[in-house]
Amino acid sequence: MGSGTVAKSTQQATSDLAPGASSSSRRHRCRVRTKMESSSPKRRKLDHSNGGPAFETAASSSMGASGSSAFVLETDELLKEVKLDYSKAFPGLDQTLRQFKDAIEGLEKYGPVPIHEASTNWAKTNRIAIPYPDPKPAKNSPYKVSFEKPSHINVVGSYTSQTMIKSQSKFAVDMIVVMPTTLFSEKDYRDYRYFYKRAFFLAYITDALRKKFPDLEFVYRNFNGNSLLPILVARQQAQSSKNQKAGTQGTSFKYEIRVIPNAPEGYFPTAKLSATSSSIRQNDSDESKDTKLPTPFYNSTLKSESQFVSYLKLLHRTSNTCASFKDACILGRIWLQQRGFGGDAADGGFGHFHWAVLMALLLQTGGRKGEPVLSPSLHASQLFKATLQYLSSSNLQKKSVILGPAPKTPDTVRQTGPVLYDSSREINIMHNATTWSAFMLNEHAKLSLAAINDPQVDQFDSLFITKVNQPLQIFDLFVKINVAPNPAQNSSGISDGKSLTMAFAEDVYKTVKKALGERAKLIHVQLPELPTWKVTSSSARAKNESILIGIMCDPAKASQGREFGPLYEQKKDAARFREFWGEVAELWQFPSGEIVESVNWTEYSPLGYFGICQAIIRYILKSRLKLDDDDLEFHGQEFSNIISLSPSDKASFDAAKAAYSVFEKDIRELDDLPLSVRQIASIGSETRYSSLRSPTHNQRQQGATPIDVVLSFEASGKWPENIAAIQRAKIALLLQIGRSLEEAKDGIKTHIGLEDASRETENLAFLDVMYAGGFSFRLRVHSDQEETLLDRQTKDQTLDRHVRTEAAALLSSARWRSTILPLHNQTISTCCTRFPALSSSIRLTKHWFNAHRLGNYFSEPLIELFVLQAFLQPHPFPMPSSTSTGFLRTILLLASYDWREEPMIVDPSDSLSATERLDISTRLEAWRKIDANMNRITLFVATPFDVTGVVYTQGIPKVIATRMTTLARSASKAAKEKGIELDPRTLFQSGLRDYDVVIHLSTKAIRGVLRDDGTRHSHFKNLDESGSSEALPLPEPPVSALLRRLNSAYETPLLFFHGGPEDTVIAALWNPQLHTRGFSVNMPSSFRPTDAGSDTFELNRGAVLAEIARIGGDLIDKIDVKDT
Amino acid sequence: MPEASTSSEDFSTLPVSIPPLPSYPVNATHYIYLRRNAPKIATPDDSRSLYLANVPTDSTEAHFRALFSSLVGAGRFESIAFEHDRKSTKISHEPAQAERLARHHKKRKREDEELQHQKEEAAAELPDTWPRELHRSGSSAIIVLADEKSVDLVLRAVNKLKKTKKYPVWGDAVKDGVPAFGAQWLKSHNKLSYPGNDVVQAVVDAYFTVFNRKEEEAQQLAKRLRNEPDEDGFVMVTRGGRSAPARRDEAEEAKQKMLDRQQKKKDETQNFYRFQMREKRKAEQLELLKKFDEDKRKVQAMKEKRGKFRPEA
Repeated sequence: MGSGTVAKSTQQATSDLAPGASSSSRRHRCRVRTKMESSSPKRRKLDHSNGGPAFETAASSSMGASGSSAFVLETDELLKEVKLDYSKAFPGLDQTLRQFKDAIEGLEKYGPVPIHEASTNWAKTNRIAIPYPDPKPAKNSPYKVSFEKPSHINVVGSYTSQTMIKSQSKFAVDMIVVMPTTLFSEKDYRDYRYFYKRAFFLAYITDALRKKFPDLEFVYRNFNGNSLLPILVARQQAQSSKNQKAGTQGTSFKYEIRVIPNAPEGYFPTAKLSATSSSIRQNDSDESKDTKLPTPFYNSTLKSESQFVSYLKLLHRTSNTCASFKDACILGRIWLQQRGFGGDAADGGFGHFHWAVLMALLLQTGGRKGEPVLSPSLHASQLFKATLQYLSSSNLQKKSVILGPAPKTPDTVRQTGPVLYDSSREINIMHNATTWSAFMLNEHAKLSLAAINDPQVDQFDSLFITKVNQPLQIFDLFVKINVAPNPAQNSSGISDGKSLTMAFAEDVYKTVKKALGERAKLIHVQLPELPTWKVTSSSARAKNESILIGIMCDPAKASQGREFGPLYEQKKDAARFREFWGEVAELWQFPSGEIVESVNWTEYSPLGYFGICQAIIRYILKSRLKLDDDDLEFHGQEFSNIISLSPSDKASFDAAKAAYSVFEKDIRELDDLPLSVRQIASIGSETRYSSLRSPTHNQRQQGATPIDVVLSFEASGKWPENIAAIQRAKIALLLQIGRSLEEAKDGIKTHIGLEDASRETENLAFLDVMYAGGFSFRLRVHSDQEETLLDRQTKDQTLDRHVRTEAAALLSSARWRSTILPLHNQTISTCCTRFPALSSSIRLTKHWFNAHRLGNYFSEPLIELFVLQAFLQPHPFPMPSSTSTGFLRTILLLASYDWREEPMIVDPSDSLSATERLDISTRLEAWRKIDANMNRITLFVATPFDVTGVVYTQGIPKVIATRMTTLARSASKAAKEKGIELDPRTLFQSGLRDYDVVIHLSTKAIRGVLRDDGTRHSHFKNLDESGSSEALPLPEPPVSALLRRLNSAYETPLLFFHGGPEDTVIAALWNPQLHTRGFSVNMPSSFRPTDAGSDTFELNRGAVLAEIARIGGDLIDKIDVKDT
Repeated sequence: MPEASTSSEDFSTLPVSIPPLPSYPVNATHYIYLRRNAPKIATPDDSRSLYLANVPTDSTEAHFRALFSSLVGAGRFESIAFEHDRKSTKISHEPAQAERLARHHKKRKREDEELQHQKEEAAAELPDTWPRELHRSGSSAIIVLADEKSVDLVLRAVNKLKKTKKYPVWGDAVKDGVPAFGAQWLKSHNKLSYPGNDVVQAVVDAYFTVFNRKEEEAQQLAKRLRNEPDEDGFVMVTRGGRSAPARRDEAEEAKQKMLDRQQKKKDETQNFYRFQMREKRKAEQLELLKKFDEDKRKVQAMKEKRGKFRPEA
């Protein structure tokens, strides 16, 4: 990691950028290079002693073969898009700020007066409250407060550094007012004295400004959620802002001015304010002076009070030395914003300010030997990526990170929360951040880096465009905890100046994290929104608040029933374990003789990981934090409940797989077959953990479906050379297999069944093999010879065109069954074991398609690919770890899937090369050129075993594809907006209002179809002549048979919608393209003359529906037609 | 089959009134369009047949027999062929060799033999899986009537309907024997899909008896042809001779081999001369430039699509 990497990367950077400068001719290339060298610092060789940025991966990946220049161009475009024109966006703001400054500077000196006098007399007469932090000053405190002219007033923050962006939710302009040293005495750093004085100072300014600017609304708020630091917020009143908007046609934004009082720089001794020193004397401090608790938060807050100007200078200086610093700050700001990070403690305490400071510091230092980590010559996108790399590798959540020379006593830095220590200013930049937010920050940085390093992903969208701050998309389990207004027992919080809620949240976090251990991958605590309060009351009104814990589980570890602790012999650890778990801790002896401490949760095992985690959290919060069950509210299981998924489903899938391998063995053991078996492949979704219903034995169960199996033989010359004859030969083979199986094994019954073939060249028959008390299989034979003949026909130019297209269709369906489906089955099956949440997510997604009656257009394998894709490319989210996240992420994927222009490439083993991917895109473009209206191909989904991209997506009309996108968009919008309040059932509800025709089926008649085989039996068994009254082996579900027939008869005029075997409604839309037309012999449907005179014809809807009513007969209860 | 460009004037419109059903209580009218049959390739029955367009999807012969009886009285209707029936007969069951030979050598057929073969082939047909066929909406049919006079009668009767407005009713007076739709239909389908292993075995056996016989015949014919020069004195080359012609896949294999050899030769002489290296570098640079332009275009295209560069709220 030397400067070599930098040289390499910068060189590549130039080669990336150079073509842009040189127009086209290569002769100019040389000159362009030299020009660039002189104009930009990019080519400058870096000093060796200085060392280079230590970010090989980030830098090199950004310059990787694919997408690098595109990424740079995209970020440039993004920057252009989000940047603000300040004069247009905030008209009159500069003037207001100047007026503020003048007003504050013009104020008279006041005081000093004793605190209680100020709060009684002054505040009362002016009818304003002084926002003292808790605990409020005692009545008898001897200190005095006063106001003097501030030493200076300055506007700081992103307004001055011009790094505001359009997509910000609110625009805040920070104005700091530095209090003069004459207000304070040396010891004011102790016991809130500084903060009391500050509060009065603020109240005094507030009073003055309030009187001077009656058209602005003034409120108090805690700065960054820090209850020690109230600030004044001046907002435009709702009415005035409206007028403004109307005047300038919406180009202006609503902003607020935040007035922030500051301590004089360097006044308070930093040595006394280190992380280990105590600045707050406890009430009982007289008794125990030695056991003073350190107050790191209080100290850091006080230190930060005097550093505003210093940081302002730092940022300003950096933006002068590093040209792309500002742009990189904006990129960082967008990245943080999309992930919900902000300066407020509730947002994680790491906002754009912290990002900018971190980057500025990294441009100076940060390396192992104090060398700068970033180079000022990098492009904005590179600066951004390198900073991300730093965040992901620095382990902020685990260890203290010190930027600059290490302090003499490292202990003075250490504290409980995350530490990012700026040693030149001796302050922890992240003092306001929480442990969990540091975890989240690190995790997001890692995920984003993974996205950057994955050449197959659209890095740009996942980094900057997608809104990642969607708890439902990340966490599997939510616990909502009511915060008691006055937590009975409290640990460190209050004495350190932190708010009650915050201290409580930290306790809960620590406890839950320790209790769940490896079961949880990520734990996040969402704190309530920060309130503002009126200037007439001294602090925000306490109301019933609740915090929300989001937990991302590790599905494999979380479902473990028993928790193992330390060895019994390790007395100290064991005692600690016992102390933590309390009464549920018990000893456990392994067969090897080892005795360990353990906790037993196996009684919750049948409920899956959710049940176990819930039980653990309930127990531990009750025992350690005295929280009642009523205070806890669990969410996250609602999605699995929709189709009653249960952890035991896996067992029944495994049973199906085992039954299949028995069947396979039975077939292979047959020795009297005329051809030798090459491959037996299961293609049923039951054997790949993904059928909607878990597989069941065929114990006379209604609607039990057989598992599809394909059998292919070694190539042989024995096949006849005629396709129709091959189909018959297949039947002969099936019959032979059936006979042999029945002879060889007991308890097997075979039935030959005929397919609904309309041509003799299609596959004509299948063999149902039923194991008594076991599963049943539907066997089809595949013949190589058939494929060869069909292939020859499709390529034979001498044949008629319709013969060739017909052969092509037959060929693709043969290949689909014999080649693609077996591979697909294997892939999904492997992935289901690789990703534990995949199976249930697939099943829920299938249910979603069915619930919206799209199931008859989207084949099961296609839906499986959608879900798999959401797992394979989770960026920018972590990998889904539960049914709900897996399902929601699939919906999100479908919502953003632009199938008109992009192919979906599902590549579970990364086996496709870049050129192959390019070929796939080219193929899609070619399709779109031939068929611009997308009448034949809409979705385009390619896999390593099918690069044509059209096999999975046959027969999806554009209307249906659009409908899928619309539904997915509205579902993901609901999930985003409602958060955990979302009732998942609403996502699966579908009305019948949208359809033109709704055919209501009779459940009774449907059940009747399945009950017996249609021959009329006598009531008396012994009078039954045929004697073959046994029920049919595996009847086809009646509704799907009916639908198939209707579909083939009314393909053109009607588009049918039906959702799975349980749905008793078939809905339909009229084809809008069947216009009134002139007469032709081959009408696409039943047409009628429009009027007596005219020679035009229109669709005869009434007659069509009457036909359907006749066909359906007693199966149809009612046909509803939408009034037009 | 008539050309698709015919105008409606050639056709007479036969409105059929559809009785309401409890599930769809609406009085509908279906329109069948008919005219004299005039296919491209004439058949002896053309003069006494009618071409029908837009027959109802649930049509059966019984339905039309009843319909025509109500129009022109009983005894005029002979048979009907639906679009689907006419199409499905095309597929050849001949072995490939027989087909190849048939192109060159017309076999004389004996009538009694032909009849026997037809019977055998009928035995080789698989049973239907549906008790009653469903036709595509808007499909056609050809009706053969008793004689030419009947055609005129029918057309006249149809034209008269325009005035009387007394449309025949669909499904009226249809005799029993038409399988019912609805649940019964699906039930029978489920049953028919499983005709029983023995039945299917018999069909398959019958089929291969015919097929094997044809193959045998073809082989014998080939053997004969091998020795017999035709009128021009040529001897046909057929499979099974002493020097059999190369099989198609063998030819393909040979071709692939040749291509591979060429490719290998080409690969060996790459990156050898200086000019080759130079050209390669040049190509690489061009590739880079091209890629950059492509990226630029892509970004431009994204820009045109609104909202692509706006972070989601």
